Amino acid sequence: MNCDDVRPQLTSYLDGELEDDRGSAVRGHLRECDACRAASDDEAALRDGLRTLPSLDVPSTLWAGVHRQLANAEVADAHTPHWRRVARRWAAALSPQQWMTPRFALASSAVAVIVCVWAWRYTHRDEGQPVDVLATIARATVVAPNHAPHATNSVNDPNDVAAEVAAVPKQMTDDYAQAAQELVALAQASRTQWPDDRKQVFDAKLAELQHTVDGATEGRPRQKAYRALIRYLQRVTTRDEVAFANVGGL
Amino acid sequence: MEMLYHQFKRRVFGMAHRIVGPNDAEEVAQEVFVRVFRGLAAFRGDSALSTWIYRLTVNASLSHLARRGRRQEVGDDTLADVPAAPEVSRDPALASRIERALVELPPGYRAILVLHDVEGLSHEECAAILECRVGTCKSQLHKARARMRELLGPIGVDRS
Repeated sequence: MNCDDVRPQLTSYLDGELEDDRGSAVRGHLRECDACRAASDDEAALRDGLRTLPSLDVPSTLWAGVHRQLANAEVADAHTPHWRRVARRWAAALSPQQWMTPRFALASSAVAVIVCVWAWRYTHRDEGQPVDVLATIARATVVAPNHAPHATNSVNDPNDVAAEVAAVPKQMTDDYAQAAQELVALAQASRTQWPDDRKQVFDAKLAELQHTVDGATEGRPRQKAYRALIRYLQRVTTRDEVAFANVGGL
Repeated sequence: MEMLYHQFKRRVFGMAHRIVGPNDAEEVAQEVFVRVFRGLAAFRGDSALSTWIYRLTVNASLSHLARRGRRQEVGDDTLADVPAAPEVSRDPALASRIERALVELPPGYRAILVLHDVEGLSHEECAAILECRVGTCKSQLHKARARMRELLGPIGVDRS
């Protein structure tokens, strides 16, 4: 291992991401090479310096500025024709950023691979043998048990792609769960300032929605239950915004 | 919503401050919170709430820089005027030198350094915020640190 091998790996080495033998080799080189050791020391000092930068004080005027901009935006909404607001919403919803996601790209790639596999088998079929299209597609969509999605990088193997596609719903459910958990924490924090009757209504509804989530089967039913829970929590937290705006004298 | 503000104000302001600089940080942070409050009802829950808010912060900061021009105003005391670090085990001026060197970095490098090294987010979180692959995120971080080392020179490690 020489300096050219070591320098690109310094970041990973200092972040503790190199496996044992590679880490050991880099350490060994650093013991012998003064220049690389100096570079490593500099990088470590830089990293520590960045991590220990002092926290910045938030200016006291920031909150008032947010109030003011919210008020300005709402006044602007009031002066914008309805059709233009609807058009803006649709433009945002149809923007490629909304649907051109990695998941969309992955699903599209999977469909393309399945179609290619089917087409290849169709064109290379033995004329005497009927093509078993369903079996081909089924093989391509079967998920290998205990098949970790991060271990599948090759798009050449349809089984790998199918496994990645199959892992998407699980990831979506996890994302919903995390978002719901954060919103519950926010709502619970706001709850302390609510009157008792509102607390009771909130607690009952939250328990009902969480019960629905717990009782839903994995996949789409659970994601649907999570979406209902998230929508409710968004409504609850947004109500506070109205109250806050009134207090703020907007 | 006030809870949400208090929970995220320090990080949102800190990120904006270190990406766009002190003069415009408050304006960008205001813009981020307005977008958060007005967009929360449409938040689809397909990423963590914090990831969404940090993504808004980085995007608002980079858009602000693009609008303002390619380079951040550094002022009269640019990095070149900062004396080289003495060869001692601790550089007392390191924090301010780092802050100034950050300003000199290209905005993309600045964003990844702030997210990963200053705010301590993981590579996976950074990749989700910057909407890129984890590998891309790591290589950008490596380049950003290398550029920072070039800008800073030796940073106060005792080699005597």
